[in-house]
Amino acid sequence: MTNSLNDMRHAQSMIFIGSNAAEAHPVSMQHILHAKEVNNAPIIVVDPRYTKLAAKATEFVRIRPGTDCIFIMGLVNEILQKGWEDKEFIRTRVAGFPEMAEVATKYTPEEVEKVTGIPAAQTREVAEILAKNRPTSLTWCMGGTQHSIGSSITRAFCILQLVLGNMGKSGGGTNIFRGHDNVQGATDMCVLSHTLPAYYGLSDGAWKHWCRVWDVDYDYIKGRFKEKKWMNAKGFTLSRWYEGVLGEEKIEQYTPIKAMIQWGCGSNSNSQYNRVVKAYNKLELFVIVDPFPTMAAATCTTDNVYILPCSSQYETSGSVTSTSRQIQWRYKIVEPINGCRDDYTIMKDLVERLGFADEFYKNIKEVPEDITREINKGSLTIGYNGQTPERIKKHMDNWHTFDIETLEAKGGPCNGDYYGMPWPCWTEEHPGTPILYDVSKPVAKGGLPFRNRFGLEHKYSMSGRTEDMLAAKGVYNPGSEVKGGYPEFKDVVPGTNWKTDLSQKTIKEAISRGMAPFGNARARCVVWTFPDQIPIHREPLHTPRPDLIPEYPTYEDQPNQYRVFTKFKSEQNPDLAKDFPFVLTTGRMVEHMGAGAETRSNKYLCELQPDMYAEINPVVGNNMGVRDGEMIWIESPEGGKVKVKALFTERVDEKTIFMPFHFGGVLMGKSLAGEYPEGHAPYVVGEPANVCTNYGYDIVTQIQATKDGLCKISRA
Amino acid sequence: MGRMKFLCDVERCIDCSGCVVACKEGNHIPVGVNRRRVITIGSGQPGEKSISVSCMHCSDAPCIAVCPVDCIYQREDGIVLHNKDTCIGCGYCFMACPFGAPQFPTGQVFGARGAMDKCTFCAGGPAETFSAKEMKLYGQNRIAEGKVPLCAGMCATKSLLAGDSDEVADVYRERNFKRGSGANAWGWSKAYTKK
Repeated sequence: MTNSLNDMRHAQSMIFIGSNAAEAHPVSMQHILHAKEVNNAPIIVVDPRYTKLAAKATEFVRIRPGTDCIFIMGLVNEILQKGWEDKEFIRTRVAGFPEMAEVATKYTPEEVEKVTGIPAAQTREVAEILAKNRPTSLTWCMGGTQHSIGSSITRAFCILQLVLGNMGKSGGGTNIFRGHDNVQGATDMCVLSHTLPAYYGLSDGAWKHWCRVWDVDYDYIKGRFKEKKWMNAKGFTLSRWYEGVLGEEKIEQYTPIKAMIQWGCGSNSNSQYNRVVKAYNKLELFVIVDPFPTMAAATCTTDNVYILPCSSQYETSGSVTSTSRQIQWRYKIVEPINGCRDDYTIMKDLVERLGFADEFYKNIKEVPEDITREINKGSLTIGYNGQTPERIKKHMDNWHTFDIETLEAKGGPCNGDYYGMPWPCWTEEHPGTPILYDVSKPVAKGGLPFRNRFGLEHKYSMSGRTEDMLAAKGVYNPGSEVKGGYPEFKDVVPGTNWKTDLSQKTIKEAISRGMAPFGNARARCVVWTFPDQIPIHREPLHTPRPDLIPEYPTYEDQPNQYRVFTKFKSEQNPDLAKDFPFVLTTGRMVEHMGAGAETRSNKYLCELQPDMYAEINPVVGNNMGVRDGEMIWIESPEGGKVKVKALFTERVDEKTIFMPFHFGGVLMGKSLAGEYPEGHAPYVVGEPANVCTNYGYDIVTQIQATKDGLCKISRA
Repeated sequence: MGRMKFLCDVERCIDCSGCVVACKEGNHIPVGVNRRRVITIGSGQPGEKSISVSCMHCSDAPCIAVCPVDCIYQREDGIVLHNKDTCIGCGYCFMACPFGAPQFPTGQVFGARGAMDKCTFCAGGPAETFSAKEMKLYGQNRIAEGKVPLCAGMCATKSLLAGDSDEVADVYRERNFKRGSGANAWGWSKAYTKK
């Protein structure tokens, strides 16, 4: 989130697209409803389903899954046609605007209607609501990202907020809700295959930076790899790791994957799950570290599996990061029970036996405080350096001194700090940054301009125009030495820049001059490193509208996307919709979480939601002769099928089937309840929806496209 | 002092069942017995509303009137409690209650009802305050600790209000006052009746 949950109280309007906050993020709703009630802020919910969040909306927009990008670009177009854009903001702080505006003109409300199914009048109405109720807070979640064009969709969201001038403002921002309190932390530590912690990437410079932080010899780390080139190569992703095991798809690696550790991973949240199961059984070694045996444990028929029971969050301590970029300390409440051990202990034993404990624990003597300190030392890119364990604990112990509206401590031991020191928190004296890119405050008090991330100027390939990437004259934080744009700070300590200078002198120098260490530049509408530099619509790989494929085709196949051949164009078969006429989309329910290993092991939650189901429109059910509550088969084009209860509801329209993805323990009609370790089966089992979610991955990130596949249904 | 009341603000209830689980977890209620439930009306349709319901602690409680063994009684602060040692499990209270609040344990031989169970407003019961017997038969006594009932304390959106009826009414009145214009004034008809 660029702002915070609490700051949404200041929104004058809100738009949610691909987010069902009432079920997925219920606690956020108190702030959302506060804005609705106190500011009379309209709530616009854009979703294929009439969700529980839509029940709280003032405007519900039913959209065809996978067409978010064209709707948003349509709003941008309508705003520009009516002259509602924030011209001053665009002139001074935005780059690539004319090039983007040119592309947006194609997306008229009528064209939007043709593709998305949203009436042209409603697109016009939503644009007007946004224009006349500023600032708008924009929220998206996995409904926006899990598409083959997910990266373009998220770019479009950002562009909409730039055009409306809603960035860097209280009540505005792009507010992507993360789930529980360390999803943001895990992201910031980049538990991913394409970058080192804190978004440093995989370049030699990044490795050398972290080697200095870890105090480990760079050549030692290099020696751990088979060849140096693998240090810099992106690895397999969570979405498609199993291709590295199965050998059915061409991979770009010298060996198949032979061993796997799943540490706190809900396995049945993987799409193509029946193929994932095949891979589990082909692995030579498979280790599951989790408080509950996950469905993965039950699916393995070989004896290659080890389950290491780890403690729950209440049985351990450490720093975690919330969706509002706030860092909090989690105190231990009770000792681990039943022979479980906390993650740190399991990690320590593993590292010792693998033989690199000396290197691993060089800076870490006191666990977990020293781990947080190491994060402080190295994560300069995102300003994780000011949140020392001592400061975090001080915040936790003085909750009552922070203001619920502004998150600022009024007096007391944390006076002037923002709660949790939202990153970037540049120094141990810095209060944290509650709203990103807010030029109304001095940098030392939590203000920031846009980052100078993309060079000093750029020549656009589509227009031939060259643009200065720095912010215009007159845009600066109060107290800034330079009264306009400026580049990032470097060579304060020779040979380093603000993000590699471990002495942090560069950062301190910038702050003392009233400036941001990362410069003062423009936010861009054109991303020249993406296949689509400006967001455009492309039909989902498996589309119910084959008539739109010629106009909106998908990408070319990618021979080496995160080490594996990934189909796009060759997978977009126009005839598929004949046999698979329904769109399949998935999502969450409030009673269960993630893959459900934990919540399906809680008797009260199981009592509330005991059955796996599929939401189908009553018209669809009656036409096929099924009654509400009867069992149906849902089948994907790849041959995955699930047997689930039909739930008749008008939440979905007549073209869409919805399934929650929290269930597990049944595979293609066969219960695996007896396959869990004795006494550890969850209270309820059900078919994982992800057996049916279709093939399809984002062109940039390779996130799985679980929201816009196709399926067919039949009576069971 | 007024009297203790629950009020569920339907504009805020998001049907998360946090109140239900908090009640069960905190009072060790068996599966199948629901002191509190969330009811959704018009599910999946424009106008969908949810409301959390439990014993309403009625001013003139019909359960008290019909109980043949007089085990149900009302405290001075309006909380309706009952004595499980006296209760014969006849179920008259269940038939009299307009809200379906009285619950009976299930799963016994011949479906014998056993003593009735219902929401205590987290005020324990007639057993000695904070005793093990009170906890076992009735659950926590948070009122004696000066706390609001678990369900209301847990409510993520502060939809479920509990406490002195004067204060509850004040909170609700202020909320409605703020909602009085613009997007909230016409509610659903505004959202779905296109011009």
